[in-house]
Order: sequence, then structure tokens, then C-alpha cells
Amino acid sequence: MSQQRLNDILLFALLAVCVVWLVIPFGMAILWSLVDPAAPWTADRLLPPALSFSRWIDMWQNSSLKAALINSYTQAPLAAALSLSLAFPTAYALGRIRFPGREIAKLLVLLPLVVPSYVTAVFFSSLLFQLGLTGWKFGAIVFAHAVLFLPYSIRILIVSFEQVRDDHIEAARDLGAVFWRRWYVAYLPALRPGIFAATLIVFIKSIEMFAIAFIVGSPDIVMIPSLLFASLGQDYVRPNAAVLSLILVVPNILLMLFLERLLKSANPSLSSGKG
Amino acid sequence: MQMTAKAWAKVALLLAPGLGLILALIGTVIYMAVTQSFGYYNLSGESVFSLEHWAEMLDRRLYFRSVQYSLYIGVLSAVFSVALAYPLAIWLRKPFAGSMLIGTLLKAPLLVPGLVAAFLFINVIAYHGIVNQLMEALGIWDGPRRLQNDRYGIAVLILQTWKNMPFALLLLTGAVQGISDDVLDAARDMGAGSFTRFRKIIAPLSLSAMQAALVIIFIGALADFSFQVIAGPTNRQSMSQLMIYFQGHGRWHDAAVVGVTLMVLALIGSAVLAVLARLLVRGERVR
Amino acid sequence: MLRKLLVAAALCVAGAAMASADDVSANEWDQTVAQAREEGRVNWFVWYLRDDLRRFVQPFEKKYGIAVTIPEGTADANAQKLLSERDREPGDIDVFTYGLNNFESLDITALFLPLDFLPEDEGRLASVSGEDGKSYILSFWGNQTGIAYDTSVLAQADLPQTAEDFARFWTEHPGKFGFNYENGGSGPSFYLNLMGAVAGVDMTSAAADGATMQSLQPGYDFFNAHADNYVVTASNADSIIRVSDGELWLVPGWEDHLAGLQNRGEVRKDIEFYIPEFGMSGGSNGVAIPRNAAHPAAAALLVHWLTSPEVQSEFNRVFGTAPMNAASDDSAALVSNTQRSRSTAWPSDELRKPVEEKFIETVILER
Repeated sequence: MSQQRLNDILLFALLAVCVVWLVIPFGMAILWSLVDPAAPWTADRLLPPALSFSRWIDMWQNSSLKAALINSYTQAPLAAALSLSLAFPTAYALGRIRFPGREIAKLLVLLPLVVPSYVTAVFFSSLLFQLGLTGWKFGAIVFAHAVLFLPYSIRILIVSFEQVRDDHIEAARDLGAVFWRRWYVAYLPALRPGIFAATLIVFIKSIEMFAIAFIVGSPDIVMIPSLLFASLGQDYVRPNAAVLSLILVVPNILLMLFLERLLKSANPSLSSGKG
Repeated sequence: MQMTAKAWAKVALLLAPGLGLILALIGTVIYMAVTQSFGYYNLSGESVFSLEHWAEMLDRRLYFRSVQYSLYIGVLSAVFSVALAYPLAIWLRKPFAGSMLIGTLLKAPLLVPGLVAAFLFINVIAYHGIVNQLMEALGIWDGPRRLQNDRYGIAVLILQTWKNMPFALLLLTGAVQGISDDVLDAARDMGAGSFTRFRKIIAPLSLSAMQAALVIIFIGALADFSFQVIAGPTNRQSMSQLMIYFQGHGRWHDAAVVGVTLMVLALIGSAVLAVLARLLVRGERVR
Repeated sequence: MLRKLLVAAALCVAGAAMASADDVSANEWDQTVAQAREEGRVNWFVWYLRDDLRRFVQPFEKKYGIAVTIPEGTADANAQKLLSERDREPGDIDVFTYGLNNFESLDITALFLPLDFLPEDEGRLASVSGEDGKSYILSFWGNQTGIAYDTSVLAQADLPQTAEDFARFWTEHPGKFGFNYENGGSGPSFYLNLMGAVAGVDMTSAAADGATMQSLQPGYDFFNAHADNYVVTASNADSIIRVSDGELWLVPGWEDHLAGLQNRGEVRKDIEFYIPEFGMSGGSNGVAIPRNAAHPAAAALLVHWLTSPEVQSEFNRVFGTAPMNAASDDSAALVSNTQRSRSTAWPSDELRKPVEEKFIETVILER
């Protein structure tokens, strides 16, 4: 069987899976978001009795959604950038230098992920308050998220640094490339997928992180997860939750497409794969 | 390898902004949590040193059952996510028409907040949800079945895998794409089948990515709260759930005991998973 | 050190507050009102119906020229914020709302200002259902647990009223009754009261000792004997939604919560609410002012306004809550006064803790 034919078959199989994977849940979300407030969608009906955009309009006009979108989508890229910058040296050391205790260091890097939720919420934010970081609340949230999600950026970048090939570095050195040039030629191609993955993960995690954003930010700074937790908690209204969910997913998908284009402008398997 | 003082200094300097910051800030917070489990940092009364909280907790069946259940969810979620992601990553290694679209589609769940995912899922499997309606319409089931909060945590495992498989895919795609064609071609020329190629070349060369994926997913799923509360079995409690239960009742030290257990299990479990993955892969290569 | 800092800060603020609380006179209160106007802003952290409450406080904002900010947050997160910024001076929270039951998890004397400097009001019900709110917390939102039922399948006459009725209902209609054991107090209210009825124990007055635990055993046995015929749900909201979806017929719930979901078009209007004869517990939400509030005078003014007879009548009219001021009009409540008389008090905290824990271990986890 040719590779092309195999791909075609797999493609169809995958499309079928995607229906279950994405189309059903999102299709249901779209239907729920269109339920008219005056006519609840009861279980005995296959489709909502009346459709309207009123929930969308109401959500857009009468909630803090716009402010939250702006805050969250400014905060998350900054947190991702800061987290990656902080992670870079550590990931380089753990990925390229063989030193005793390296495995333990790799394990210790995971600590922020291991801390239980309420401990982060109460003790970590209280530490931030005590350090006096909250004079600039927005900055404090960015910093806190950058630290909390360091495990993702460090561990992902370690993988990338391990993939950098020694012969590339040596070739660059032999050709007399200066430090920066060497980085650009030998390291960057191998690091690209890692940078993409780490940026995306830290970005998404900081968009989703509720506790710190709320405890440090409220009441002055509203962020998306506060709206989400509020609408999915006690006052849970499915159509409103659906509207909010759909609004939140769209910018994320655009961002991913953008990042993918930006960082994979050259095919990494070609740029780093061939010796 | 011999490390000179200068080399050590370089390593220390490099580790400072990342690991150093983690140890300073998160270390302090962990210290607070650990001492809280021994009676300090009481947020609703006097702080007194005491081993009682641990002693009482270790005496409870409630506690052990939640440890057991959380380990079950943690390990299976990590294994399922990675096992599903591997073949997809290998398939997507070399770009073809539509591969980018597929990659994006597969990664989409990453972008859906966990809470939203759980509610979408509950919607689908609800008593009068689309699955029940479909099965009834097809005549497979006589009446609606209660699928919500199933006994074995299958819903939680599905949700965890749904949410985490893309993460594993993201890591593995990068690693698998980094493997040069020469090596794989050479193996193919030597008559190695696709499974042998996976065992002997792909797995060892992407080991680090696999370990990272396994460990990070394990830690997240071990501490699962939102999926468990919404979709999990009502006759089981995850450790986070137990912890929040105690915390909500002002029993800070009990909550801290569960929290510290969670941390210790997460670290030990991560180490064990990483070592197991390496042994498995290395073992294959020796054979 | 944390503790020392905290005590120091607490003493400092308490000292300042005591000064104004020491000589409560009309004049003093006038000064507080003037100061409140000067502060011009108050942050009210409340965990439910925030949209509606923002609308509800508009008359207050207009009357005093004080902006009320109600941030989006859950009960847990509000409490975590309160705790994490307890050493901060000043904090962000001016008025803090929590279920009266939940305040038990906080060190209220260390965290909050005593409220005796508010103008005296005989009618104020500081505590509801035997729970001591002390003078640090005032109840402003009375609510009641009971049972929500689907009128399209059950007539009023069919509603189970006693333990025997429930046993019969469960046997005749397996899988049609559900309750939550966490994420909301309605389920616990149901099983605590029903266990008391089965075992013949008065949960409100029973002592928290081994003898009581012993005599409650028939209650646990009752739930275990019928375990296959009832459903355990995930939360208050999950229960109500599953009744509205037709999956369940009867579930414990909160009257104000049900009304709120109905008003938003999430739950069918033909779901109704009753309190069974063996009684179910009433509760309330309270307001308190953190010691490090940045706008303490405005906070005091808001608390005073929320608990006043007129505003309590208005709460009753708009949300159907049970007024927390004796001088208020309670004609708009969701349940009749006959049924309201079946409202019981929660068991003491010392009793409730071991009973609930045993229920989880021997009933829930054994399913």
C-alpha cells in the first residue's frame, strides 16, 4: 500500500473520529448557546424550541467579558514570554550539560505543578502579597503565572535542547560562526517546536488559571476564568455557559494557527532532520 | 564526567532563574503546607505542633481509598494519552496535504478550558442527551440509561485523555520530527518492520519527550478536581476532592495532610514513571 | 511570624474600630455615613446571583453616591482571597458574604470587625436556625432547603412526607430520587433530617457524643437498605437540572436557588418545592466586614442597608427569600407559612461533622 493511499484512509478514519471528538460537543454547545431565554430547551425535544442570538448579545453587552478578554489576552502572552525567558538557561543546563544530580533537578522543576490547589490559592498569593508585589496587580499575576508554569516551559525546552545535534554545533563552530550565528543556525531549528509547544501551553494555562488571577486581581482586574467559574458554579445556566465557552475557544484557535505558521515557516524535519 | 568548580558555577548560574526561583518561591509555599499538616499555620484557631492529624488520617479508610482512586486515574490518564499520541505523532512526522489541519484539529481540545469540556461532555451523555437518544433511535437500548457519574471513573478517564492527549501529541510531534530520515531509512534498509523501527529507534530517541508527557499528565490527573466533581463516580473521592472537603469545613490540618500526600505521591509517581519508561525502552533496545 | 504580624495588624485595626464602636450615638453614626460618602466606594464579595444583586443595590448607590463593586467569584475563591490577604493593609474586600454554615471554617473574631457600632435594630436576626452568628456576622438572606419535584409526573398528594413514604417511593420508583452529599447543603439537610426521623433522634438538640452516634445507626441502615433505589448527584445545581430534564422526579434543593434558575430560563417553571413533614433545615447567608477593609464606613453603611426592614422586604419581594428582619414583610416567600413551620435548625457543628463523615464512609463510599 502506498504512503499516499494510507494517508487517505487514515485521513477519513480521523475525520470520523473528529466528529465524535469535536463536532458533537461543539455542535451541542452551539445549539445550547442559541436557546431563547423565554423557551427552555427541555429533554423531550431534539432541538431547542426557539432559537435566538439574545444570549450572545446579552453576554457581549452586559458582562465584564470585554474587559476580561483584553486583560487575559494581554496577561497570558506576557506570562508565556516571561516564563520562557526564565526557563531558557535552566533548560539549557539540564538539556546540554551532563552533571551529577541532573535527574533530581529535573524532578524538582516539577514542584509548582505538584502544589495542591488551595495551597497555591492561599499561601502562594499570600506570599505575593507579603513580597509587596501587589502594588502592580497585573504584573504580580503575570509573574505568578510565569513561575507556576515554569515546569512546562523548562521540561519542554529540555526535550528540545536534547534534540540539538552536536554535529550541527560543531559544523557551525568549524565554519567560524560567531556565538549568535551559531545559535541561529544550530540551536534554533531544533528548538522551534519546543518554543511553540511551551508558549502555547503556558499561554493556555495562564488563560485558564483561576485562583491567582482572582485572588490577586479582584476587584480591579477581571479575567476570563473568573467569569467561567462564576457561570459554571452555583448559578449554572447552560446556554450562558455555552456562549462563554464558544467565545473563549475562538481566539485560542486563531492563536494556535498563528503560532504554528510563525514557528513552522520552515519544516523542522527538513531543517534539523538532515545531517 | 568530572565537574570543575567553574563548571559547577556555570550550572548554578544557569539554574538560578528557573529552578532557583522555583525552589525559593514554591519551596516556601511547600514548607508552609508541610508544617500546616503538623499543626502550624492554623487559619481558624491556635497553631500547635501535633502528629495527630497524620495519625488520624492514616487510620481512615476514606483516605486510603482516595489515594488508590487518584493513583488509578493518574496512571491510566497518562498512559492512555501517551499511547494514543504516539501513533498520531509518527503519522504526522512528515508533512502531507492536510496534515497541518489535522494537527490543529487534534490539538483543539487543548484550547478548551477543562470546566467547559466537562460540561460539554455531561451534556452529551446526559439521561436525555444525544448518546441516549441515538441508542434509543437505533433500537439498541430500550430506554435511556444513566451514564453520568459511572462507577469506574470512565468518564473522568475519557475527559482526561481528551484534554491531555493533545499535550502529549505536541511534545511527541516535536521529538519525532527531530529524528533524522537517514536513521529510519537505514533501519528500513536493514529490513526492520514498522514496529521494530518504533521500538528500536523512535521510542529511544523520543524518550525524554515521552517521559515529560507522562509525568506532567500524571501529576495533573492525580490532582484532578473539576472532572471528578462533575463527571466522576459519586461513590469515590479523589484526593483533591477530599482535600477541598476538609478545607471547606475549616479543617486546615486535615486538608494539609491530604495535600502533602498528594505532593509526595506526585513526585514519587513521576520518578517511578520516568524510570519505568526508560527501563522499558532501554530494555527493548538491549534485546 | 505570620501569626505575629496578623495579631499586630488585627489589634491595630480592632483598636481603631473599637473607638467608633465604644460610644454609639446617632451623631457617631452620622459621622460614619459622612465618612462612607467620602470613601465613595465599597467592594462587596458575594458568591451568587451577582448580576441580580448588582441591579438590586442600585437604589443604595443612588441614595448615598457610593459605588458598589460586586466582582465575579465563587464562595471558595472569595474565602481564599480573604485568608490570603488577611495580613494586607488595606485589603480589597469591604463586605464579605458567606453561608452562615461556612463561617464556621473561619476564625471570625480575628478576621472581622464586631458590628455593634451599627445603629441598634431590635428586629435584626443575627442568627438563624440556632447557629450563632455572634455580632460579627449579620444574616441578610434567609433560605430554606426542601424538595423540588416535577409536577408533570407527581401530584401534591403523592409527595412523600415521612420516612416510610420515602422508603415506599424509592421502592416503587427506583432511580427517580436523587440527592447530593457535597457541593451544596441541600442533600446533607435531607439525609441528616431523615436519619433523625428514622432513628427518633432530635438532631437539633442531640449531644455530640458516642451515644447519639450509636442511636443514629438505624438512620445509616435505612439509607444502606435502599441504596439501589436512589441516585447520588454531583451538586445542588446538578440535582435541580436533572429534575428539569425529566431524569429525576424528586430532589432536595434550596428554594432561592431553584427560583434563581427558573428566573433565568434554565429550569422548567413547573418544578415546585415543598418541605416534607419530618422537616428540613433553614439557613442563611451572612455579611461581615473584614478588619482590613479599605472602605469600612461604606461597608458598615451597606451592611446596615442590607439588613434594614425595608430592604429585607424588598429581598423577599424580588428573590422570595425569608426576611432576616422581624419588621419585614414576608408575604412573597416561595413556601407557605404552614410548610415554613417545618423548618428545622441544623445540628450543632460538633455533631454534624462526625455524622456526615460517617455517612460518607458507610453509605456513599459503600455504594
